[in-house]
Amino acid sequence: MIALRGVVKRFRDGDERLTVLDGVDLDVAEGELVAIVGASGSGKSTLLYVTGALDADFEGEATVAGRSLRALSPDGRAAFRNAEVGFVFQAFNLLPALTALDNVCLPAFFRGDGRPASRGEREATGRAALARVGLEAKAAKKPAQLSGGERQRVAIARALFAEPRVLLADEPTGNLDAATGAAIIAIFEELAAAGLAIVVATHEERVSRIAARVLHLAGGRLA
Amino acid sequence: MRGRGLVHLAARNLRSDLRGALLNGAATCAGAAALVFFVALGLGVGAAARRMFPGEARLVEVVPSSIALGEVLGGGRLDGDALARLRALPAVADAWPKANLRVPVTATRPPEGLAVSWPPSLVVQIPGVGVPRALVAQDLAPGAPFEDPGGGGAMPIVLSRRLVEIYNRTIAASWNVRRLPPAPALVGLQVPVRVGWSMVPQKTEDRVYDGRLVLSGFSDRVPVYAAALPLELVLRLNREYGKPELGYSAVTLLAARPDDVPQVMAAVRRMGFAVDEGERATAERVGAAVAVTTGALALLALLMCALAALAIAQSLFASVRARVRDIAILEAVGATAADVRALLIAEAGLTGLAGGAAGTLLARVAALAADAALRRVLPDLPFRPETVFAFPAWTWALGVAVAVLASVAGALAPAAAAARIDPARNLS
Repeated sequence: MIALRGVVKRFRDGDERLTVLDGVDLDVAEGELVAIVGASGSGKSTLLYVTGALDADFEGEATVAGRSLRALSPDGRAAFRNAEVGFVFQAFNLLPALTALDNVCLPAFFRGDGRPASRGEREATGRAALARVGLEAKAAKKPAQLSGGERQRVAIARALFAEPRVLLADEPTGNLDAATGAAIIAIFEELAAAGLAIVVATHEERVSRIAARVLHLAGGRLA
Repeated sequence: MRGRGLVHLAARNLRSDLRGALLNGAATCAGAAALVFFVALGLGVGAAARRMFPGEARLVEVVPSSIALGEVLGGGRLDGDALARLRALPAVADAWPKANLRVPVTATRPPEGLAVSWPPSLVVQIPGVGVPRALVAQDLAPGAPFEDPGGGGAMPIVLSRRLVEIYNRTIAASWNVRRLPPAPALVGLQVPVRVGWSMVPQKTEDRVYDGRLVLSGFSDRVPVYAAALPLELVLRLNREYGKPELGYSAVTLLAARPDDVPQVMAAVRRMGFAVDEGERATAERVGAAVAVTTGALALLALLMCALAALAIAQSLFASVRARVRDIAILEAVGATAADVRALLIAEAGLTGLAGGAAGTLLARVAALAADAALRRVLPDLPFRPETVFAFPAWTWALGVAVAVLASVAGALAPAAAAARIDPARNLS
């Protein structure tokens, strides 16, 4: 499902060029949950952004869900993010102006197939996604009215809305207490069991415990 | 992203920053209100001026020249030959001669069937001018006659539309007598008259007989000071009463196009005739003054709209800076650069739509208030308009469209900046 070959990512910091990913190879199969661990600033988030087509400025080959990311146009990458990948972030990244249901339904507004979903269709799918994370009753709440754990579950529901084949999570339990974090980890476990390829960037051991593989990112390389 | 989804997201975003949206909306509202108000004022004043000076743009009134040199140049008398030469001028579509009635016609009794106060000693001498049927045909009431009835028949007349207004606002008001109903209701009215009898005894003819005038219609093509009668009737009466043949008193020319009028007027003057420019010149001066003033005020209002666009641009730039992460989130879930641009422009468009609608409504309310104030200040003179504003449907559309355009124009640069946001740098 995910195949990265010799991925190199460099940043310019003034006159200096920093190599964050230095020839990364990664394979993740369908239904596999892989944890990427490493120190802060080691490039975990960058690796997820390259994998999820949020960052197209890299060297090497990246094939995700059968698509070569380097071959995609900017609009093609947007359509790919919309349909094939779900993102979960440490800071939840929900839109404060929208309700939980609208946040979950956000991908429906940007469908790349040019087929606009009807409101009824969109909201039915959104409610189903919220039900999957146990939050159907909070559909009308704004993010500010939800707890941290609930916000992260809304973010997971949004990531699942388009039924992607790949889920990328960047420190998903970083802002949650132990019990809430455990509930989120349980959801990831279920999703992997249902066939999703999941990559979780984390520095938490409890996440690593449920991963099929734990890879260490250091010096720009995975080991 | 398009359609209802776009509007849904844009409306939600606006609602989340209601204060900013209201400020932007107020800026477009002020611009649209000023524009619609001034344009409606220009249209209204223009319409009032046209009611007061209803000259047709294609008509040229030719009169005999007061300078004797005209005769040397072949002009001077407006007779049949002159009429033929005027009619043959380039760009002249038609020519209608007019002849003054030189036989006194006087009303000593009120019109029949009309309840008006008529003091017993009142006599009204009615000046008459003969015009061909073709000049007033378009203004005759359906089936109304306008031919010489021969001896004994009711003589058809056509009056100036402005006459009723002048009578009602001056004579009726100052004498405190009943006002006349609207002009169409007066058609068919018969006035008993004495033909040949003058209120100045020395001017009374040897032969005086009772006749009657019948009102066949109202027209802007006849003089306000005289009743228009069929030309052949006037020529016959002048002949029967032994009046010397003086030719026509005037000839009305119809230019092929309004733009041809200066050329026709120049040709008329070269022929040695004069052009009666009295009302035309006044109407043109008033029209030009109204157009220039309206144009200047509308320009000022457009400047306000441009300032509103700048204010919106500044506000949206600030909004984009504050919403960098939100925009990155949209990109993370599949928004393209075009989607982000469309969303920002839709937000501005909705703001402009609301501001424009409110501004147009505000202009209407301000116009009602201004009309009410004018009614209190201005005396009840003839042609005093009930309103000095005109709001045809397109002015409403103009207010909304200009506000939307100003808002969208202001949003273009911020929207482009938003579309360049790199999600990878702004999500962590």
